[in-house]
Amino acid sequence: MISLPFIVSLLIIAVLLFWPDVGVVARWREARRRALRVRREDALKHVLKCEVNGQVPTLNSVAGALHIRDGKAAELLADMEAHGLVTLGEGRLRLRQPGRELALHVVRAHRLWESYLAEQTGVAEAKWHHLAERKEHQLSPEDTIALAARLGNPLQDPHGDTIPAEGADLPADIGQPLNAAPLDTPVLISHIEDEPEAVYKQIQALGLRPGVKACIFSKENGCIRFWADGREHVLTPILANNLTYVPLPGTTPEDLFDEEFLSELQAGERARMLGLSTACRGAERRRLLDLGFVPGTMIEVDLVSPAGDPTAYRVRGTVIALRREQARLIRIGNRETIPMETAAR
Amino acid sequence: MPGDVHEHLVEAIYADAARIADRAVSRPGHQARPTLDRALDHVLTSRIWGFPIMLLLFALMFWLTIIGSNVPSGWIADLLVGKFWPLLRQAASGLPWWLSGLLVDGMYLSTAWVISVMLPPMAIFFPMFTLLEDFGYLPRVAFNLDRAFKKVGAHGKQSMSLMMGFGCNAAGVVAARIIDSPRERLIAIITNNFSLCNGRWPTQILIATLFIGSLVPAHWAGLVSAGAVTAVALLGIGFTLAVSWGLSRTVLRGEVSAFSLELPPYRPPRFWQTLYTSLIDRTVFVLWRAVVFAVPAGAAIWLSANLHVNGVTLAQFLMQYMDPVGVVLGLNGVILLAYIVAIPANEIVIPTVLMLTVLVTGNQGVGEGAGVMFELDSPEATKNLLQAGGWTLLTAVNLMLFSLLHNPCSTTIYTIYKETGSVKWTTVAALLPLVLGFAVTFGVATVWRFLG
Amino acid sequence: MKAEPIPAGVTPPTEACATCSVYRAANLKKLGVNMEQWDYMIALAGNPNTGKSTVFNALTGLRQHTGNWPGKTVTRAEGGFAYADKRYKIVDLPGTYSLLSTSPDEEIARDFILFGQPDVTVVVADASRLERNLNLVLQVLEITDRAVLCLNLMDEARRHGAVVDDRQLARDLGVPVVPTSARSGEGLPELLKVISDVAAGRVVCRPHRLTDEPPAIRHALNELVTKIRQMHPELPNARWVAMRLLGGDENLAEALRRGEIGGAAVNRPSNPAVA
Repeated sequence: MISLPFIVSLLIIAVLLFWPDVGVVARWREARRRALRVRREDALKHVLKCEVNGQVPTLNSVAGALHIRDGKAAELLADMEAHGLVTLGEGRLRLRQPGRELALHVVRAHRLWESYLAEQTGVAEAKWHHLAERKEHQLSPEDTIALAARLGNPLQDPHGDTIPAEGADLPADIGQPLNAAPLDTPVLISHIEDEPEAVYKQIQALGLRPGVKACIFSKENGCIRFWADGREHVLTPILANNLTYVPLPGTTPEDLFDEEFLSELQAGERARMLGLSTACRGAERRRLLDLGFVPGTMIEVDLVSPAGDPTAYRVRGTVIALRREQARLIRIGNRETIPMETAAR
Repeated sequence: MPGDVHEHLVEAIYADAARIADRAVSRPGHQARPTLDRALDHVLTSRIWGFPIMLLLFALMFWLTIIGSNVPSGWIADLLVGKFWPLLRQAASGLPWWLSGLLVDGMYLSTAWVISVMLPPMAIFFPMFTLLEDFGYLPRVAFNLDRAFKKVGAHGKQSMSLMMGFGCNAAGVVAARIIDSPRERLIAIITNNFSLCNGRWPTQILIATLFIGSLVPAHWAGLVSAGAVTAVALLGIGFTLAVSWGLSRTVLRGEVSAFSLELPPYRPPRFWQTLYTSLIDRTVFVLWRAVVFAVPAGAAIWLSANLHVNGVTLAQFLMQYMDPVGVVLGLNGVILLAYIVAIPANEIVIPTVLMLTVLVTGNQGVGEGAGVMFELDSPEATKNLLQAGGWTLLTAVNLMLFSLLHNPCSTTIYTIYKETGSVKWTTVAALLPLVLGFAVTFGVATVWRFLG
Repeated sequence: MKAEPIPAGVTPPTEACATCSVYRAANLKKLGVNMEQWDYMIALAGNPNTGKSTVFNALTGLRQHTGNWPGKTVTRAEGGFAYADKRYKIVDLPGTYSLLSTSPDEEIARDFILFGQPDVTVVVADASRLERNLNLVLQVLEITDRAVLCLNLMDEARRHGAVVDDRQLARDLGVPVVPTSARSGEGLPELLKVISDVAAGRVVCRPHRLTDEPPAIRHALNELVTKIRQMHPELPNARWVAMRLLGGDENLAEALRRGEIGGAAVNRPSNPAVA
């Protein structure tokens, strides 16, 4: 004899399990579908990046990039082949047109989301990549177009990578790892690889970022020593490998060593502003510009807070206090001591 | 590329501005900034004098506020409670008892209390604050203190809203407008309640005098109780910094942040104008909101002591339920109920506590009757009454802590909602101090019982 | 309102009149300003710390306190005054350094001048720190044709040893310049006179406009300008708006879309200016 409560409970359990869309089974299948989609898109992204950079994508390289077993990768690729996304022949993978479009969309979504985080939120730099890795699979092509418009259709993401325009191809990564840079020659750091996250965090903590000029002056004892941003940096080759450079013709090492920043300006000194660093973004950049921190402006140190930070600067007739890490973003030149009789100006 | 267009525009405008200004302005005298301004700046932000001057000025301000408001507070209380109240009672004698009780003993009395406690300190504190602000000193304070606030992820200007909070949290929340960076502004708003507002000072001072000052010989009593109150206020600043740190690293991590602080030239403030505007804008504004919220509170307090449930009053009924919780926290049901009905204004906590204690102890001959708030003339009588209600030193210490760490008053909550426009942040700002308050009082009570 | 009030049941004028007062009154109403009892509408803009509120108080007789801080006037203050038989409504905009950033204050001020099209925009500037203040002045001149520069704090400038040639300034800016010291009331009668002259059209401004534009975007800019002129003939300076849109000012784009909806509601679809 089966009691009524038993049947009712059974019914409730069945509803909880099998109700369309919100039931446990439906959710589980949805999650699996999403996971498959993520793996598929990540594999496409990997193949695309290999192709544009002249590397050969293989089953093994896909398995490595996605951190999955070879068998699972083979399964995934077979499925993708069946869907007309890739072709697998002679051990190498090739993208087919739908696959290429999807891969480009994912790269675009990723880089746009990173730009969004950099420009319009206060999310810490170290989190950008991680968040974008998730978001890239959620944005539809319409979403990315709207996002791009909202950001003013940026051409580069905050790491210095090109954001492929709608329908355009992904350009090859230019530049070489910093390890390979020649000694005593100024170069421009064009890109910082944001994976693995631990390495990226270390590099970022040093204040290194795309757009910084660097000059290596020694590669000894497993250390790469170089000058950048008015300071000496020391990196292990493993770290330096994650930095990419392009040559910087027309700049001498002296130019680089002579580079000075507002944070170095002492009380009683003044200097002409040369530019704002690329690391200064979004609301903060616009605010500094509005306050009159534009290239060509004379800046003089007016007061230093009793705690040593912030420092108040006289800019275009007004006294504005900036924190040290902000002053570090402002490049200056023509540093000089203020003559006594005009000190009050 | 869009960024480039933007920057090009800004540079072009500044280039034009510089050219036009150069043609229009000449400086035959060749003296750009008065040396007095400069000298003043060098003293007020100097390594040696910067902080001492600041501390001295603010100590002086608080001292003047506390000392200066005692006498007028007494006058107003005398007038509103001593004179008008009996007259009103007489005038309302024709009404049914419940109506006159509700109107005169409930609504009128709570409003009178709020005005007499709140008005004088605010009428002294706000004009002084505004004078310093108009003179241009306060931006220098933000400049001096920015480093400490930067360490906890906040803005130096938060020191202003924090100071303002000592006058009134609602005014402090409004003052956070001067912080133009969204994240730092939210931090300042949410943590403002940790500034001990002037509605809570009387509670602190009374309890410290009765229970802590009395622990030491009489000639030390004043100093020790003042020290205890200061310690609570400093603890509040400690909580402000700690909670700011926590917020900026957790829930507010993603909000936009951009620092800038202008140090405007010093300008002699116009005394009378400042007095007038700060009275109108700040004092009356805050007072009006407080009164609006105090009227229903008075009604609630009176009703709770006069409505009966199962043969006991509503207040007693509720206190029975809350007492076990209160005891675990080192407080009691009376205090918890007083803090619930006194959400509209912290000023009426002590009168409500006294009234409820009489209700609980059945102490005849003290006070004015059920549901009528009162204060006692002699501190000894107050202490005796409280001790009859089961108060110990632990209750006193935890009441002081709970008075610092509990939800903001309804005026402040409403102001937070108006300023942030967000239910979410208002809820956070309201519940966070309360949760902290429960945690801290529970911790203190547990340790206390374990040790003693 | 300058135009006769439209009686109920009468269709509003259908010809292109995006700059006429019917259109503007509707826009102002959207911005929360009721123009029923007023002849002219004045906006007061300026940097923080320039004594803008002192000017506002002096003109209206109100006592509004704003401290020595930027961004204190978060809510818009309004007042009114009468001068030579005309009634003027005056709106105190938030004090800002610029109209280019995306802070809420700056958006309020910009939208008000751009879409509310006040009869006169009075920009209050600190005479002792003219260069910095001109940054905002020039930006305001980009988005309105009728402006007056109130060169305030002249007493302070004199104390600092600066001499400001207001005639030269007026020539360079193309708008009337009135030196004042609002605290002592110096120059306020002249300011009132100039405001009334500009409002009534007795003085016509030829505001200074930026000519410099990045060569790389000239083509895109010209194309955009043509489009904006078609869709928003009421805007005084389509070139500026185009520059801002190319500069990635998404808030302005959004505001334009909103403005367009309002415009279409007043001017019937048959209106060639909107169609």
